[in-house]
Amino acid sequence: MTQVTAVMSLPSMRHRLARLLLMTSVVWGLAVSAALGLAIHHEVEELLDTTLQESAEILFGLLSYNAERLPLQGGGAMAAPVHDEKTVWQIVGPGQRVLLRSHRAPDEPLLPRPTPGLSQAGNEWRVYGIPFEHYGGVLYVAQRAGERLDAHVSALLLTAGAALAVGVLCALWLRRQVRKELEPVFTMSSAVQGFDPLHADTTLAQPTRQELVPVYEAIRHLGHRLSARVASERAFSAHAAHALRTPLAGMVAQLAVAQRKAPAEMQVYLQRSREAADRLQRVVSALLALFRTGVELNWQRVRVDELIRYLPLVELDVGTEGDTTLMADPDLLAAALMNLVDNSLRHGATRVTLSVQSDSDGARIVVRDNGSGLTPQQLQALSGALQAQSYEERMGLGLMLADMVARAHHGRLALLPAEAGCAVRIVLGLPQAG
Amino acid sequence: MRVLLIEDDTILGQGLRDYLQTDGHVVDWCQRLSATDALRDQPYDVLLVDWQLPDGSGLDWVRSLRRRNVATPVLVITARDLLDDRIKGLDTGADDYLVKPFDPEELSARMRAVLRRASGQAGPLLRFGDVELDLAAKDATVAGVRAELTAREWAIVAALALRAGRLVSKSDLEGIVFGLEGEVASNSLEVHVSSIRRKLGRGVIETVRGLGYRFTT
Repeated sequence: MTQVTAVMSLPSMRHRLARLLLMTSVVWGLAVSAALGLAIHHEVEELLDTTLQESAEILFGLLSYNAERLPLQGGGAMAAPVHDEKTVWQIVGPGQRVLLRSHRAPDEPLLPRPTPGLSQAGNEWRVYGIPFEHYGGVLYVAQRAGERLDAHVSALLLTAGAALAVGVLCALWLRRQVRKELEPVFTMSSAVQGFDPLHADTTLAQPTRQELVPVYEAIRHLGHRLSARVASERAFSAHAAHALRTPLAGMVAQLAVAQRKAPAEMQVYLQRSREAADRLQRVVSALLALFRTGVELNWQRVRVDELIRYLPLVELDVGTEGDTTLMADPDLLAAALMNLVDNSLRHGATRVTLSVQSDSDGARIVVRDNGSGLTPQQLQALSGALQAQSYEERMGLGLMLADMVARAHHGRLALLPAEAGCAVRIVLGLPQAG
Repeated sequence: MRVLLIEDDTILGQGLRDYLQTDGHVVDWCQRLSATDALRDQPYDVLLVDWQLPDGSGLDWVRSLRRRNVATPVLVITARDLLDDRIKGLDTGADDYLVKPFDPEELSARMRAVLRRASGQAGPLLRFGDVELDLAAKDATVAGVRAELTAREWAIVAALALRAGRLVSKSDLEGIVFGLEGEVASNSLEVHVSSIRRKLGRGVIETVRGLGYRFTT
């Protein structure tokens, strides 16, 4: 579970790339929008000015055609249907007097003095003036600055919207492309999962991208090394198995013959020896399995008090306290306990007590003895070595095997400080064993 | 039952030999494959073969037996317990595979099982008319009444019953029952057969004059 959580908390290449592409697309879209906005602003301004000029020239032509009949005396507005007038005009005569205007045009001259061509009348008007010779005045055609601003804003918004839409579409497309490009990585992961270097008939599928070739080669070489190591381990294991199993089988066979031939009063001792030998057989098998790669536990409900009855323990008073039932591999557990109790014996203990504590976290077997115990320095050093699995230093075979058994049960071996009436306390934690 | 045991470990070899002898079997024990050459023509009921022997592989020896069409049941006894090894052992021609260390009682039971299968019997009880033989308990009854057979008599009955209907030569039967014992009286077999007939019925063992004996089915 911890491993899965750790994997889940790692950054994802696909997500990071997708996020980067989205951010890039948005920033790019905004930058393009700004550049386009400047260009469009310039073009719109030019277009509006041209339109203003063209409108003035058309109006000039129309007004000049029959200029003598224009109603110039009142300085009022020309009749027009009700409408939202976007472009206004006025004829300003000598003395800056407005002679005629459109109905929304101001009754004051747009410019303080006769000005032909394009000019700005304050912040409100953009004006184009044409000299109107008939009355010695000027024809002004003007647009409100607000109208022009509306045109600019609309153009800019449309541009920005279009750029952003293109950016988002690009981001989605790129996200899909990223997924597609990363697909060979996922394919290779699946291939690696199905690759078993210990079986010669399974091969690792060739990578489909150049960048994956180093990973492929590294995994293949790792597989070769693993395969060679396991082969060597198996060869050693086979030799060790032969060296251990054959004498044991001989001992059992000899005991079986003795049982058949011995007088009745010897039978009870021979039977006990057979039981101890049987137990030893299972312990040896369990230990051989433990040192072999890929061990699978034989989980069973076990009573520790029953288990120790059959252990070949001599010269030592081994007892239990309370209910000692737990779930474990009985043979591995027997091997661990036998080694721990043997350790106690070698350290001068005459009495060992085993108790089982179970709760929602699993079970713990607490081994207490009255031996010589450990100094605080020894306790600290051994605890550190157990934590780091540094078995090669400081530690004897007993603690090492017990810790390996605990770890095979997903637990740990722990050494605790002494307490009243007890020289050493060893806790064999079996977290899934409750 | 005549057994050939090939096991190089002295303690195990002696232990198994003695145990099987107390079980009523006649056991020849060799510690080398080369020692089996002299025993090639002996009529063994079952062969117990260790895989790793000082002068070769027991499995290769079994393979060569099967190539020569020797059908005698073979039980491989070995310290090699990997699944691949078991498969290899059985595929080579062994009838059963027993991993050391094992209980001799289990070995005996497996020997009986391979013999039953080799003789075409499914269960441990063999019935021939009124006569019923329990191979595991070494018990013989006639019409439900227990017949008291000596160890030698039981060995003869079991050897013939497992080959029921087939002719067993006198020399083969002597080999099965007495093994390589040096001095066997020339009429010893006839005496035992005669005793068996008294206990199980006259027709149970047929004598084919000059050839041997046959257990009637």
